[in-house]
Amino acid sequence: MKKSKRLWPILSLLLLALLALAGCAMPVAPAAPAGESTAPAAEEPVTIQVFYPVAVDAPIAQILNGYVDAFHAANPNITVEPVFSGGYGDVKTAIQTTIEGGGKPPALAVMLATDIYDLVNAGYIAPLDNFIAASDPAYIADFLPAYMANSTYDGQTWSIPFQRSAVVLYYNADLLKEAGLEPPTDWASWAAAAQALTVREGDNVTRWGIEFSSDWPYWLFQPLAIGAGQNIVGDDPAQVFFDTQAMRDALQFYIDLSQVYQATPPGVQANWGTGPADLASGQTAMIAHSTGSLSSILKQADFEVGVMPYPGREAGTFASVPGGGNLYILDGASDAEKAAAWKFIQFLTEPERVADFSIQTGYIPNRAAAFETQAWKDYVAATPQAQAAADALQYAQAEFTVENLGEVRTILHDYIHKAINGEMSVADAMAAAQADADAALEPFRQ
Amino acid sequence: MTAFARLQRRRVSPLPYLLILPTFVFVALFTIWPMLLASYQSLFLQRLNMARYRTPTFTGFQNYVELFNDDRFHQVMHNTLIFVAGTVPVSIVLAFLFAMLVNQALRGIGVARLFFFYPTILPLVSAATIWMFFFTPDYGIFNTTLRALGYTGPQNWTGNPNLALLAVMIVSVWKNAGYYMIFYLAGLQGMPVDVYEAAALDGASGWQMLWRITFPLLRRTTLFITTIAFIGAFQTVDHIFVLTQGGPAGASTVLLYYLWEQRFEFLNVGVASALTVVLIAVLLIFTLTNFLLSERKEDAHVG
Amino acid sequence: MSGNVMGGGWRARLGRSVLYITTFALALVWAVPMAWAVVASLRPPTDPLGRGDVWFAFPLTLENYTRALALAPFGQYYVNTIVVILMILAVQMVTITLAAFAFAHFNFPGKRAIFYLVLLQLMIPTTALLAPNFATIRALGLFDTRLAIAIPYFGSAFGTFLLRQVFLDIPRDLVDAGVMDGCRWWQLLRHIYLPPAVPTLIAFGLSSTAWHWNEFLWPLVITNSDQARPLTAGLVRFTQLGEIGAQWALLSAATLIVILPLFVVFLFFQKRFIQSFVYSGIK
Repeated sequence: MKKSKRLWPILSLLLLALLALAGCAMPVAPAAPAGESTAPAAEEPVTIQVFYPVAVDAPIAQILNGYVDAFHAANPNITVEPVFSGGYGDVKTAIQTTIEGGGKPPALAVMLATDIYDLVNAGYIAPLDNFIAASDPAYIADFLPAYMANSTYDGQTWSIPFQRSAVVLYYNADLLKEAGLEPPTDWASWAAAAQALTVREGDNVTRWGIEFSSDWPYWLFQPLAIGAGQNIVGDDPAQVFFDTQAMRDALQFYIDLSQVYQATPPGVQANWGTGPADLASGQTAMIAHSTGSLSSILKQADFEVGVMPYPGREAGTFASVPGGGNLYILDGASDAEKAAAWKFIQFLTEPERVADFSIQTGYIPNRAAAFETQAWKDYVAATPQAQAAADALQYAQAEFTVENLGEVRTILHDYIHKAINGEMSVADAMAAAQADADAALEPFRQ
Repeated sequence: MTAFARLQRRRVSPLPYLLILPTFVFVALFTIWPMLLASYQSLFLQRLNMARYRTPTFTGFQNYVELFNDDRFHQVMHNTLIFVAGTVPVSIVLAFLFAMLVNQALRGIGVARLFFFYPTILPLVSAATIWMFFFTPDYGIFNTTLRALGYTGPQNWTGNPNLALLAVMIVSVWKNAGYYMIFYLAGLQGMPVDVYEAAALDGASGWQMLWRITFPLLRRTTLFITTIAFIGAFQTVDHIFVLTQGGPAGASTVLLYYLWEQRFEFLNVGVASALTVVLIAVLLIFTLTNFLLSERKEDAHVG
Repeated sequence: MSGNVMGGGWRARLGRSVLYITTFALALVWAVPMAWAVVASLRPPTDPLGRGDVWFAFPLTLENYTRALALAPFGQYYVNTIVVILMILAVQMVTITLAAFAFAHFNFPGKRAIFYLVLLQLMIPTTALLAPNFATIRALGLFDTRLAIAIPYFGSAFGTFLLRQVFLDIPRDLVDAGVMDGCRWWQLLRHIYLPPAVPTLIAFGLSSTAWHWNEFLWPLVITNSDQARPLTAGLVRFTQLGEIGAQWALLSAATLIVILPLFVVFLFFQKRFIQSFVYSGIK
C-alpha cells in the first residue's frame, strides 16, 4: 500500500498547479482602467479594441491589420487591437454579454447599421455629435445619404458607415441578349423577362427566370415596397408601414413571379447561399442579392454579368436598399479611448482607404470622395459592374430599422412567410403584420 | 491521531463533503448561481431596448403570464414536443441497429464504425452548413437521392412549413445516432456469451434472443441514452441558426432557439429568464422521474 | 457476443452477406456528408456547384486549404484547443473521482439533495449561462484566457454520474474486506474503486473531448485574442459569410482541417475507445 499514499498529494498538487495556472494566465491584452479622468491627455498612450465581424469572402482580418499598422505608424500613442468576433450576431452577443457581465466593452465595434435604436436604448453606444462638430463639416456631409439614413436617432448621430452593401438585381446579360430582351425597366418587363428566360424540360425546370431568397425576407423585399412607392419605415422610429398598398403589391408581385409567371420556385425560398452560384452556372437568369457577392459572381461566371437596382412598379423607376455594418463607439469606453476610436474611424474612412477597402472586399464605397480616387476609377474601368452596383444606391431608401427591431422584424418575416406559403392571403397577412407590429411598438410610443 | 481522523470517527464525517466540495464549488459557481439568477430575473420586467425598462422592475409572475398567453410560445412548445418525440426515439432505434450491425466480426468494420460515429465530432455549425447544401431544391444531394428513390413530394425542405422542422430533425438524428451507438456497442460487447449459448442450445431463435435477452440486458443502457438524448434534444440549436432561423413563420422554432431570440434579439431579459426556468423545469421533471425509477433498486446498494 | 453469426452452411453465408451489405450500405449513407465535404474541398473556388455538378470538378486543387489556413491562425488554435481540453480533462478526472467516490461509498445527510443539485448541471442551457458566467469569469480576473474557457467545466455532473454508477457496481464484500484490512479511504479508492473504473474515465474523457472540441459560443464570448481562442472560433469565419451566402468549398476545407486529427485518432483507437466503454458501466 506504499504507492497509494502518494495519490492524494499528487492530486492536490495537480489541483494546486491548475490554480497556479489560473493565477499566471492573466488576460493577454491588459485592459486599460475604466475612465475616471475626463481630460484625455493627448500624449498618454491609449489602447483600444475593435470588434468586427466577417461577412464577405475576403481576408478582412489581413486587410484590417494592414490598416492598423499604417495607423500605428501615424499615431504612435494609440494601439488598436482588432478582434474578430464571428458574424454580426456574434459581435452583438459578445458586446451585450460583456456589458451586462459588468465588463469593459471594446471602444469601437462594427455592427449592423440597423441595430442603432436597440443599441441606443440599451445605452451601449455613445453619440458622435461632439466629435463631428469638432471635425471638418465636409467630412460627415460626404457620406452617401442612403447610408447616413441609418445613422441618426433622437436628433443625434450614432454611427459612421463602414462596410456597406446594397440590394441589387444581377442578370445574365448574354441570356437576355439571346432572347432579344433589354434589362427590365418596370415590374411588367421584369416579370416578362423572368418568364421568357425560364426553361423547362418536361416537368423539370432546368433554368429559372429569377431566384429571390425569402427565408430572411425583409431586406430583399424592401426595394419591392420602395419600388411600389412606399418604404416600410419612415421618419418615426416607432412606426412601420406593413399594411400599405405598396407592401401588398410588392408581396403579390413576388407571389405572382411563381404563381402566375412560374419564373421562380414556389414557396419560401432558402436559396440565399446557392443564388450566386446558380446564376454563375446558368441555372437561373437573374438573382436578387447583395452587392457583396459581386466579386464571387464575377470570378465564377463565364458570361457578361449585369447589375442594376430593382425596377420599380412604374416604368423608369428603380429601387434599392442599403445593408451592412457601421462603426459604433461604445459608451463604456473612457473619453481618451473614445477620442482614439474616433481618430481611427476617421483614418478608416479616408477616401483612399475607403476605395482600397471597397476594391479588396466588394463593399460599396461609403462616401462620395472615394469615388473620385484614382484607384476606384481604375477599378471600375476594369469592372464596370462595381460602378453599376454603386449607382444602384441613388435609388435606395433607409434600411428597415425600428424600435424593438428583433420582435417587429420577426412579425414581418412570419407574415411574409405565411403569405408566400399560401397560409394567408396577402391582404390578411399584411393587416395582421401591421396589427401585431403596432402592438409590439405601442410601449415605445409613450 | 490527527484532528482530521478524529472528525472521521464521528457519526457525521466531513470527509464526503470535502470530497464533493471541488465538484460542488464549480457546479455552484457556474450552474446553480446562474440558475438562481434566472429564476430571480424571471420575476422582473427588464427590456434592454427600452430606456425606461432597462433597470429591472418587479412584476411577480407577469412574464410567465405573458408567455402562457403568447401564441408563439404555444407554437414553440408544440414544435419542441415534436422535435423531442421525433428525434429521441429514432436516434435511439438507429443507434441500436448500428450497434448490432457493427458488432459483427466483419472485415473493415472499424471503418463502418467510424462512418457512423464521425458526425459526433463534426462541429454542428459545419455539419448544418453542409446539410444546407444537401437540402437545396432540385440539385441538392438529398433531393436528387430521394428523387432517384421515387420521391415526388416537395423539395423545398427548409422553406416549407411542413418540412422545415423535419429537416432540422433529420440533421439531429444523423448527428446523434452514432454517438448513442457507442454506448449500445459497449453494452453489446459486455454481454455474457454463456447466456446466449445456453439459449441457442434451447433452440431459441435470433429474434427470441433479441427480445428475451438482449433488450432486457440493455435496459440500463437504454435508460441512460434516453436521458442524455432527451437533454441533448433541448440543448442543441446551432443547426437551426444555419438551416432555417426558426422559420418559415416560426415553424422550426424550438424552446432554446426562442430563448436565444428573446434574450439576444428581442433583448427581453425577463421573458428570456422565464423561458430558462420553463426549460429547466421540463428537463428536471423528466430526468428526475427517470432517475427515481431507475435508482429505486440501487439505493439499497449504497452502504 | 462479438461475431455471433456462426460460420458454415449457405444460409449462414447468405445471412453474413446480407449483414455485410446492410452494414456497409448504411455506413456509406451516413458518410455522404463527409465524403462530399472532402470532394467539395478539392473543387476550384471559381467553379460553381450546380445541377449535375455537385461532386468532382477538375482540376482538383488544394487552394481552398491554403486559403483557409491563411484566413485563420489554425496552428495557434490547435494549441489552444488542446491546452483547454487537457486542462478540463485533468481537473475533471480528479473532481469526478472524488465526488463519485463520496456519493457511492458514504452515507451522509443531504446526500441525495446534493447529488441532484450537481445533476442540475446537465439541464441548464448554455444560452442562459452566458451573461452570469461572463460576470463570474470577470470577477475571477480570467477574461480572455484559456482557463476561462475551461473552468466552467471543471465540475462535471455527467462524469460524476457515470463514475458513481461503476462504483456502485463494485461488490460490497470487496469494499468491506478492504475496510477490515485497515485501508484508509484513499487506499480504498486507489485499490478497490479506481481499477475497474479506468475504462469509464477513458470513455468519459473521450466524450468530454468530443464535446469541447465542438464548443463555440462560450469561447467566442469569453476570449477575444487569437492567443486564447480555440479551433471552432476559427471555423466560424467560414460559416458566417452573411452577405454573400455559403462558400462550401472553403468551409469544407476548414472543417476538415479542424476535425481531421480527431478523425484519425478515432480510426486508430476506436477499438480501445469502444472497449473502454464496454467496461464503463454505461451499459
